[in-house]
Amino acid sequence: MADTISEFFQELAEQRRQPLLGRVRGTVRFDLVESQDAADQWLIAIDHGDVTVAHADGSADCVIRADKAFFELLIKGEQNALAAVLRGTIVCSGDIELLFAIQRIFPGPPGLRQTQGAARGSQ
Amino acid sequence: MTTDQVRILKGNTFVVSDDRGDIEASATDPTGLFSFDTRFLSRWVLTINNQRLTALSTDDLQYFEARFFLVPGTGTVYVDSKQSVIRRRSVGNGFSEELSILNHADEEIDLTVRIEAACDFADLFEVKDALKKKGTYSTKIEDGRLTLSYERETFARATDISSSEPCQIDEEGLTFHIRVEPHSSWRTDLDVAISVPSSGQDKEASIFAWHARRPLSDMAQDLQFWLDEAPRLECEWEPLRTSYRRSLVDLAALRFSPVTAGGRSLPAAGLPWFMTMFGRDSIFTSLQVLPFTQELAATTLRELGLRQGTRIDDFRDEDPGRILHEMRYGEMAAFEERPHSPYYGCADATALYVVLLDEYERWTGDVHLVRELEFEARAALNWIDEYANLQGNGYVSYQRRNEETGLENQCWKDSWDSIAYHNGQLPGFPRATCELQGYAYDAKMRGARLARLAWDDSAFADRLELEAADLKRRFNRDFWVEEGEFFALALDADGRQVDSLTSNNGHLLWSGIVEDAKAEIVVRHLLGERLFSGWGIRTMAVGEGRYNPIGYHVGTVWPFDNSFIAWGLRRYGFKDEAAIVAAGILEAAQFFDGRLPEAFGGYPRAMTKYPVQYPTACSPQAWSTGTPLLLLRTMLGLEPVGDNLVVDAALPMSTGRLELLDIPGRWGRVDAFGRGRVDTRQSAGPA
Repeated sequence: MADTISEFFQELAEQRRQPLLGRVRGTVRFDLVESQDAADQWLIAIDHGDVTVAHADGSADCVIRADKAFFELLIKGEQNALAAVLRGTIVCSGDIELLFAIQRIFPGPPGLRQTQGAARGSQ
Repeated sequence: MTTDQVRILKGNTFVVSDDRGDIEASATDPTGLFSFDTRFLSRWVLTINNQRLTALSTDDLQYFEARFFLVPGTGTVYVDSKQSVIRRRSVGNGFSEELSILNHADEEIDLTVRIEAACDFADLFEVKDALKKKGTYSTKIEDGRLTLSYERETFARATDISSSEPCQIDEEGLTFHIRVEPHSSWRTDLDVAISVPSSGQDKEASIFAWHARRPLSDMAQDLQFWLDEAPRLECEWEPLRTSYRRSLVDLAALRFSPVTAGGRSLPAAGLPWFMTMFGRDSIFTSLQVLPFTQELAATTLRELGLRQGTRIDDFRDEDPGRILHEMRYGEMAAFEERPHSPYYGCADATALYVVLLDEYERWTGDVHLVRELEFEARAALNWIDEYANLQGNGYVSYQRRNEETGLENQCWKDSWDSIAYHNGQLPGFPRATCELQGYAYDAKMRGARLARLAWDDSAFADRLELEAADLKRRFNRDFWVEEGEFFALALDADGRQVDSLTSNNGHLLWSGIVEDAKAEIVVRHLLGERLFSGWGIRTMAVGEGRYNPIGYHVGTVWPFDNSFIAWGLRRYGFKDEAAIVAAGILEAAQFFDGRLPEAFGGYPRAMTKYPVQYPTACSPQAWSTGTPLLLLRTMLGLEPVGDNLVVDAALPMSTGRLELLDIPGRWGRVDAFGRGRVDTRQSAGPA
């Protein structure tokens, strides 16, 4: 399980540039809760689309807290971050705009075609 | 019963009660205290000595506060009470209520005052559809406070009720045993606070918890500032001044600040049930009010951009680049029993997003925002060709992928029977309604201007203009109904024309997709007997299979629709016709104290003499509120040209002299003047 999450952040670090975050500037920390008092912490700094990742604690403009197992579903596209915030499954403190922004890079539900339109209409 | 309701609100927090100030909601009854699309109070009933009260009068002081003047008892014939009761209620994070009891007698009096309180924590959607709750309720009395709570897994909502004067608290309310001296009074301040508890360590740290307890601004001062900032209207025709003032105040009430907006506001769709972000409504309203206030457009663009679709999600009808339809915060959205987190099933807002961005820049000169939103605007333009071309025929069309809870009709005429052939039959899906092609054309043309102005990409601009020209050429061929000489309402799944004559033709003028040679005949239809009622242009023409003067989108007159048609008439140089439409709608506004309803009946003006209001739950509706403002723009012929504001007035004769002072924009502030000269009387519609 931890591997999926590490891979996700590693890929994020390697890609560096995220066009979907082009307007964004700030720091986001994911606190991924494993047990009562242990959280896996990832610190993401975004500067107009340029992303750096640290597997570390640290102060952040926005802190997103979720169960580790749930976060794994998010990055697989099996759960939706904004519905989860409404539900309280994810707790966000600080600048919530950063949560709205960073969830844009999570994938959509698995198994759906990634293009439609003309391709679909000409079936 | 709606007539006796009293509604006050701040943002998406609102209270709907009866004229005594009492709330007695049933599962399906839309009264109570609501916030974040959840009911936080469903029962709030005042009794004195076990007796209900009677309302003498109710005073809606401002949109955010109300005062109820009451006497004990439910007297039948006349009231002769020795006490009177005043409840003064204002909305904040919940509401506060000053309860005063005045003793007019020469003797002291002992009273038992009781407030009953309860809450069902219904989701707005549940109130509409009467659905059953899945979580658990609890009640707690602690520190002089009654707390009503609801929990479902991690979803928690609570209401805290307290009083400034001592009282007995039980699980069903508050009781005061009081003595009021002769010719004296007693008062307590009741506080009903909404709360969004979060589990885990961050008890009160979550953003929603904070939002529920955020510091409140001085709302009276805020409203005054808002009114002072708006251009001043001087006009000999008093009803227009009334409509203008009404619109400005209602627009203030309709401002909604999303949690991500840092206190800035955008226009919500309608009050109180649609106090949330809607792609289409927020954009149309922002467009209407641009000459008067520009902050709403900027916030709309930023906030819709932040929530722009980024992935394929069938449940939400989401695609990359698509602008949302509607955002909701309640339990059903949270548990994905409804797709509004947000829902994207809307086929027009994405093109209109680009239209608004361009129009905003033309008024403000804010190139910075155009650069900031380059990615979003390009993604929106890309959506038109990449994701909305469902039939592969080069036209924007829609078909929901969420077949259970998604929207069937994803255009502004979104009721089930709004898209119909001349013979009354309904087409299948996908449907390519005509106005969507107009918006797409306009978005490409305006996108091209922005690409040259701010994105330094003339190749992209050239491409967009070529595509737009091609779209216009094809559209004027494929949608033109030769026999009737108007544009079809839509193309169906087989590419056949949905051949009803509708007001959508007017939107096509607004978008500029109509070939010049066809404009005059289109205008003749719009102002002809079948479409023009004398008050305004009907959504669907008399003689169509589905025509019904009180059918929601098949015969009623929508003020918002007419305001954009008037803009379209100006665009093609039909100034007098634009003045006729403006005059009809503004004259209709007089019958509603200056507050235009969402729609009114399509009966001929000569038949009813007054506009028959279509019954809707929401008033004011944002784009009806914006209508008098856009009509002022079209009558004065206000048009930004470079760094100047051009004025080219064509006012109805009845208006007399009109001055609009301090119009804000890239020019600073300028004034516009005009005098009524267009005779609109002979156009009062058919008998």
